[in-house]
Amino acid sequence: MTEHTGRRPSTRTWTLLAVALTVVALVAVVVAVTGQRRAPQPAAAADPGVTSSVPSSVAPSPSAAPSPSPAPTAAPPAAGSPAAAARGPEPVSVSMPAIGVTSDLLRLGLNDDGTVEVPPLGPDDQAGWYEGGPAPGDVGPAVLLGHVDSAADGPGVFFDLGALEPGDVVDVARADGTVAVFTVDRVERHPKDAFPTIEAYGNTPDAQLRLITCGGDFDSSARSYLDNVIVFATLTSTRPV
Amino acid sequence: MRKAYALPAVAITAAAFPLLSMTAALAHEGAHSYQATLGSVNASGVTGTGMVTLDGNTATVMIEATGLLAGSPHAQHLHIGAMGTCPTNDLADDADGDGFVSVTEAATYYGSIGTSLTTSGDTSSESGLAIDRFPTADDGSISYERTFEVSDDVHDAFEAGTAVLVLHGVDEDGSGAYDGDVMSDLDPTLPMEATAPAACGALTVAQMGAAPVGGAETGAGSTAGTENTAAIGVGALAAAGAVAAGAVAYRRRQADQA
Repeated sequence: MTEHTGRRPSTRTWTLLAVALTVVALVAVVVAVTGQRRAPQPAAAADPGVTSSVPSSVAPSPSAAPSPSPAPTAAPPAAGSPAAAARGPEPVSVSMPAIGVTSDLLRLGLNDDGTVEVPPLGPDDQAGWYEGGPAPGDVGPAVLLGHVDSAADGPGVFFDLGALEPGDVVDVARADGTVAVFTVDRVERHPKDAFPTIEAYGNTPDAQLRLITCGGDFDSSARSYLDNVIVFATLTSTRPV
Repeated sequence: MRKAYALPAVAITAAAFPLLSMTAALAHEGAHSYQATLGSVNASGVTGTGMVTLDGNTATVMIEATGLLAGSPHAQHLHIGAMGTCPTNDLADDADGDGFVSVTEAATYYGSIGTSLTTSGDTSSESGLAIDRFPTADDGSISYERTFEVSDDVHDAFEAGTAVLVLHGVDEDGSGAYDGDVMSDLDPTLPMEATAPAACGALTVAQMGAAPVGGAETGAGSTAGTENTAAIGVGALAAAGAVAAGAVAYRRRQADQA
């Protein structure tokens, strides 16, 4: 046994190497686990009107908790009795301070099969307004859609939509330079094959907003989520930009 | 000879293509949604909402209604061709004084059957009393959705504002079944309770100009699977290396001690 006198790594070197590699392995596992993202999910459809608790990974809103009651500064015509039939200005962008999301709005129509178009996928995907329905601020259910994620580019513009809570504010800037301010009423999750069309798209007595993205379990074979997350919000005021 | 035929054939084909694509585009852009708020007739207590999206003559009909006699079939139709309105909820429209606003009496307002909203098979007025193919309201509520073709008459009625959604079947004596001495004005073998209108709503243009069908494809899944596969790979390699190095160190130490 003459080999291990300095020419080859000593026992101690091997031990240090083992310890170092163990540390690397642990760090890699921590990175993999903490880096795994999961879109916040509201309560399932069976429990309508109830939001799930917000996951701890979601940072608290920098803005103070908004009051669910209409803002005292509400413009008189906007809150209660907007001109019913008139078509209001088109939306330009949407902003949700509670989840740190701001996006310009694309124009979306219907696909040939009658389903709603969704924005194109991409690294900086945008939200879109379904122009076959009311404009945000008009009486009726205005609809905005955005992706929760994409296979190539990770989280989408509406990734955190399910973390919105009743009372959170959604601002929609419009072409006439005004902002329609909506307050979240509830966040729901429904299976796509039992989409609550009448509840989400039916007539409303006042100006409403629907924000829609995907949620629930992912069907890998169909490359599609099984559920839609729907945020229901009501116009509470309008203001200049 | 062949050439003589070929040219007109090409010309006809070329002329036909734009026409084909145009009709498809028109039919699609013509999608319109209509909504009806269902109010009670014959003091049934039934309320609900109906929504119809017409794309050409293709109709997607959705109905949500509650307060119906549970476990009994409820005929439901699109009525057309009259005033496009509904009878009252009391007996003000009971012209013959038999205690029911019958279909005949109500038809003054909402007209005759244009479409039978069955759960399967034929949807024409022929199926107006096909009681085995209408929803049975197992828990007193109906949630109906079906897409099918309607006739030109029905399509025209929507545009003219004379299409009315009507649900039939009312347990007026509270017995829990269709019964009683008054027989139906439509079929003398059926009790009046089985065919009398229970809920009615005129279909008017919805705020949502064209309601999309079904849900939205707003996710293509990356965060749903396992992300950070590179980090996991590095971790696995490092762990294997650590085990190997540890084994060598252990054997060295054994050898040193020997």
